[in-house]
Amino acid sequence: MPRSETRHYSEEELLMHLLQEETPEAGENIAGHVRECGECHAVLREYEIVVARILRWSVSDFPAEVWEADRLRLLELFRRDQAWLERRGLLRTLMHGFESAWDYALANPLPTLGYVVVALAFASERTITFLGLDRVVPATSEVIEIIRQFF
Amino acid sequence: MTSPLSDEDLVEGALGGDENAFSQLYERYRHPVYATAYRIIQSAEDARDATQEIFVKLYRSLQSWNPRKASFSTWTYRLASNHAIDCWRIRRRRHETQDTEDTGEKVAREYALGDAIRSPYREAAGRELVDAVCRCVDLLPELQKKVFILRYFQEMKLEEIAEMENCSLGTVKTSLFRATHAVRRALRKARS
Repeated sequence: MPRSETRHYSEEELLMHLLQEETPEAGENIAGHVRECGECHAVLREYEIVVARILRWSVSDFPAEVWEADRLRLLELFRRDQAWLERRGLLRTLMHGFESAWDYALANPLPTLGYVVVALAFASERTITFLGLDRVVPATSEVIEIIRQFF
Repeated sequence: MTSPLSDEDLVEGALGGDENAFSQLYERYRHPVYATAYRIIQSAEDARDATQEIFVKLYRSLQSWNPRKASFSTWTYRLASNHAIDCWRIRRRRHETQDTEDTGEKVAREYALGDAIRSPYREAAGRELVDAVCRCVDLLPELQKKVFILRYFQEMKLEEIAEMENCSLGTVKTSLFRATHAVRRALRKARS
């Protein structure tokens, strides 16, 4: 005797059966039971009607020209966003360059320090004055002068 | 004859800035997205605005779509239903504050809009029953509403919906059952 005949199925189980959302073995049991049980058959039949009613809920559409206008507006936005992304791409390239330089500086501190010293040495006297390096680190001008003469 | 491009191909194109690829995605999904939004929000104009916003969100977040996790349609319907639920919340709040507005006026306005966009379901036999379904769905809790619409109208499997909503299959099954049960009661009431 099949297991399906031993109990009534809940409405939820019957609905899942109707929508084929149950496991295959549960489906076989329910199908067998519903064939024999008038009560469950009636519930299943009612849900069939309910689901058919639900599916009659159709959605009316706007005329094609309304959607065409929306599509064009959307594409305009898409173009604008693409242009912005390109600009962001340029910025990203600059950032990438800076990150690479920073990584190099961390990996090779002495050569980097050398480059910085050389760059400073070739900086003009006016820049040193402008930045007030003399006040921050005493005798900067003299040190720079020595480096400049050395190079 | 060339076969139509897959969603994956179109997404790849759109990510590369191909306007035509994005336009094809829009053509392919515009109606199901609008239908989902309409059934949740239940206002043609608001659903149209929501559709536009959904597509803007869609192309701005295309990068985050992972084909191994969900199909493009599932991902799109998730985006659409979430956005539509947000719009529905705003609309509900707006309506709550507009209590003074005459109900008859509202109905007249909806029917006037119906003329502009054709409303075959209103003309069909059993209009009251379909209206009863609409009213009932409008009152459903958010998850039930979402599951109901995605299962019946986008034909998504409950397993997919559960994955999409990050909840158990049992929760989704119960939500769908409760929603359908509520509609069944509403239909009974409408018939009587």
